[in-house]
Amino acid sequence: MPSRRLSPRSRALLFLLIGVVLLAASRFIGELRTYQGAQVAVYMIAIASIILLTGYSGQISLGHGAIMAIGGYGAALSFTLWNFPFEIALLFGVLVGTVGGVLLGVAAARLSGPYLAGTTLALAVGLPTIADQFHVLGGEQGLNFDIGDPPHWVVRLGGSDFTQYKWFFWISTVVALIALWGITNLLHSSYGRNWRAGRNNAVAAGLAGIDVARGKVTAFAVSSALASLAGALFALLLGLVTPTAFPLSLSFAIVTGAVLAGVGNLTGSIVGGVVLVAIPEISGALTTHLGNSQKVSANLPGLVMSSLLILVVLFMPNGLRIRKFKK
Amino acid sequence: MFIDTLLIGVSSGAIYSLMALALVLVWRSTRVVNFAQSGQAVLSTYIGYEISARTHNYWISLPLAILAGAILGSLVDLLFMRLLLGRAKSGPIGEIAPVIATLGLLGLIQSFIGLIWGNAFLHYASPLSGKGFTFGSHTIPFSPQNLFIVIASAAVLAIFGIIFKYTDLGLALRAASFQPEIAQLAGIRVNRIRNIGWAFAGAAGAVAGAVITPTSTLSPNSLDLLFVSGFIAAVIGGLDSLVGAVVGGLVLGIGFSFILQYIGGSVTFLVGFIILMVVLLIRPRGIFGNKVSRRA
Repeated sequence: MPSRRLSPRSRALLFLLIGVVLLAASRFIGELRTYQGAQVAVYMIAIASIILLTGYSGQISLGHGAIMAIGGYGAALSFTLWNFPFEIALLFGVLVGTVGGVLLGVAAARLSGPYLAGTTLALAVGLPTIADQFHVLGGEQGLNFDIGDPPHWVVRLGGSDFTQYKWFFWISTVVALIALWGITNLLHSSYGRNWRAGRNNAVAAGLAGIDVARGKVTAFAVSSALASLAGALFALLLGLVTPTAFPLSLSFAIVTGAVLAGVGNLTGSIVGGVVLVAIPEISGALTTHLGNSQKVSANLPGLVMSSLLILVVLFMPNGLRIRKFKK
Repeated sequence: MFIDTLLIGVSSGAIYSLMALALVLVWRSTRVVNFAQSGQAVLSTYIGYEISARTHNYWISLPLAILAGAILGSLVDLLFMRLLLGRAKSGPIGEIAPVIATLGLLGLIQSFIGLIWGNAFLHYASPLSGKGFTFGSHTIPFSPQNLFIVIASAAVLAIFGIIFKYTDLGLALRAASFQPEIAQLAGIRVNRIRNIGWAFAGAAGAVAGAVITPTSTLSPNSLDLLFVSGFIAAVIGGLDSLVGAVVGGLVLGIGFSFILQYIGGSVTFLVGFIILMVVLLIRPRGIFGNKVSRRA
């Protein structure tokens, strides 16, 4: 990764610099693009959760959409029920999602490849139905998570034309940068080394004194924390959570994003996030060009995405980047 | 009421068995869980729908849909899986590459269907009534179409059973999945046999899609949940076992039917997930799976 040669302090400075530049840039960007920027940031966190899980710990999840739903519901519930401020609500969502991730991770550590994929897939299908069972989760209508207008100090800082979308962009960008900074440090710590060791050769890692099973559970927990954070932010961008807001296709999309970006490297999450937002946008433009057929507009993004996914798996297992995968 | 629920359970269980059978056939031949199975099944069903729409005859469309499913299964193996297994063995996504690639194939097939037929719900009608049988004044939910589902599934399962047990082809299929290298040395063309396994799986999925769809509607995603049920059923029975697939499917179908009747429809898949977890954690090789650990 590019930050490999950086010391922790200069890495922190780099992230800070990126943040300041992005926030300053948001003044000159249109509403739609700002919202898309916020989406990219959220997808980045979600994709980073898969990269961490698959690339570093060797596990797979087709159910991270469900973990995102836990995060989103946790945040929205604490926001509407107990009137938590939204910052605390986001953290609460992460807390609930992490607990869920630990429970799932304990089971996941004992499963491999297709079994884990199928099990998490069943979770992604099954979990959203809980919302219908409990009145407190709002049923089909879901829960409100409208954080309202930006507070005064932000407006003073951002200028008088500071809109809600820009506020969303600020929140998502700052949260994403903090999260990625934390994860980069974690991956460079003994945790990250142990995960990679366990992934590359479980027996050898075990002989070297690494508790591989526990490492898998921790990796799943950290990955779930990230996914639930992404879910909480996702809910914030939507302004609400519903059972249908976290469909199976979301789980597939973030896995696709991670594979396209290359699961071997955390920096790829940026590529993945941009790709997930850009493909529907580009397909939309292309559809207009092709004469606005309903069939084309509904299916072109999926077609492009799936074709890319297959091509990448077959020909570029390191993702859409030139850098070689290193063990 | 109990008998009604049981009958409906057997009918949906038969479908789960077929889907599970398709997954098991592919798993035995290639050691891959084919996540594109529901996509292949739904494409075959669309082909059946198209033929039925032109000929106005369900009974012509059904065998052609099954044939299409078999051809499709064979093509997926030839054009896609061989390339994949030849290339993506190591590297960062190593052992999960087949999962990702078959998911990609699923998306590709579904968006392809959407481009051709659109995403609206279509009706693939069968001449059999979807209304339940009536005994005197009592109408049960089990319909002639349900009866046909059970008969068709039983017929497919019986045919596969006979092929596997009593024919040379079945022996070759079993040998190729048990010990590919030794089978090769014994003169079995493992690649060709493997391809036949994929074709059988595609046909089984096509039967499932073409007989269940008349009871509801057809859309690119309409068989996705069937895949999940089929997977759960296959794991309950043991991914290696054809008998297990059938038993797992029936157990799951009847179980879901009772949950639907007495608890409520929305929790069925959550219960399915819990069953899956319990089976995988307590008896990971399933009820009928062979003794080799499947975790490694």
